[in-house]
Amino acid sequence: MLTIEKEVQNVTAILKIKGLIDITTTNIIDLYMEDIGNVETVLIDFSSLEFIDSTGIGSIMNAIYLSKEKNFKLKLQGIDEITNEVFETVGLYDILEAFDGEVI
Amino acid sequence: MYKDSATFIHQNSHDPTVLDKTLKREIKLARNIQLQLLNGKTPVFEGGEVSGSSIPARLIGGDYFDFYPLVNGKIRIVVGDVMGKGIPAAMLMILTRGAFRSAAETTKSPADTLKSMNQALYDDLRTLKSFVTLICADWDPKTYELTYANAGHTLPLYIKGKEKVVEELPRVKGIMVGGLPNQVYHNQTVHLDKQDIIFFYTDGIIEAQNNSSEQYKLHRLIAALLENKQNSVSEIEKNILASIEDFTEGAPQRDDITMVLLKIGEQEAEISSLNSPVMK
Repeated sequence: MLTIEKEVQNVTAILKIKGLIDITTTNIIDLYMEDIGNVETVLIDFSSLEFIDSTGIGSIMNAIYLSKEKNFKLKLQGIDEITNEVFETVGLYDILEAFDGEVI
Repeated sequence: MYKDSATFIHQNSHDPTVLDKTLKREIKLARNIQLQLLNGKTPVFEGGEVSGSSIPARLIGGDYFDFYPLVNGKIRIVVGDVMGKGIPAAMLMILTRGAFRSAAETTKSPADTLKSMNQALYDDLRTLKSFVTLICADWDPKTYELTYANAGHTLPLYIKGKEKVVEELPRVKGIMVGGLPNQVYHNQTVHLDKQDIIFFYTDGIIEAQNNSSEQYKLHRLIAALLENKQNSVSEIEKNILASIEDFTEGAPQRDDITMVLLKIGEQEAEISSLNSPVMK
């Protein structure tokens, strides 16, 4: 199960992820991203993420590509050690960096 | 006019029972195609043995492994994991296989193979919003050297035959295929000894879950490998699968499971142009 809390502060949209990002839930994050609105920064907070699979990583990649299309800066935060290892292994941070995003 | 079963089905396309039967039959055919492509010939060579197996979580899956005997006597091995599961992942797995077979023929090293595969697949994978993690390795039975390059895949495990040690192969960076265009990958080389084993795998193994939502995890895999390291590659494979099945207690398989084993034999390889690896 995945729930996303969206909060907009000035020109920053914060998406707080709670639960699992897998093949059954990625459409939720994709919808939030498509409907992100006119913001300068999108911050995805993974502090309450329980599990992410390859489809979930695909969704985060889509968010990175969307950041260029919709001209916002993507920031990721609250990534735990296990997820960090997975993101590092697949090269997600390299893609984020190539699109001017950052991990905070 | 010639009419076959497909013509009949088309005419009855509003009947959900007929559609359901057609779909089931086609998925079964797709499964057979995938299983035959995956479980094809395995190279036989002096001084060691290899084996691979893959079990999709659904009827078909997105994991991939392959062997390609090179003209210089080396064996090129690849293991990959396409994003997602089921039919979409299986379609991309076939695309990945084609790219590997084509690249293996024309490239000199695992890093070059991955570079070529990324160039071939990048546009399609981006269009389809997908990616593939791959590890590619060349085993040289003459020099006992394993050279490998990584495109975002879990590093293989190195089981030392003469010690009770299992460790990851030294890290080599590289991003998944389909992530960014024009990627350059790097080769890393390790020297193996007699009885050493290299265990390539996909994350479906360590993320296999039991009914209490506990994962199999790396430490159980390492314990099972140590327990079985004296066995042949096919026995190790069988026993690792049994260990996962014991752990999951019949809980539904969440992800595709794939493993490839390379075990170095006791005997020195006597390689000549006449006994290069052959596919059997």
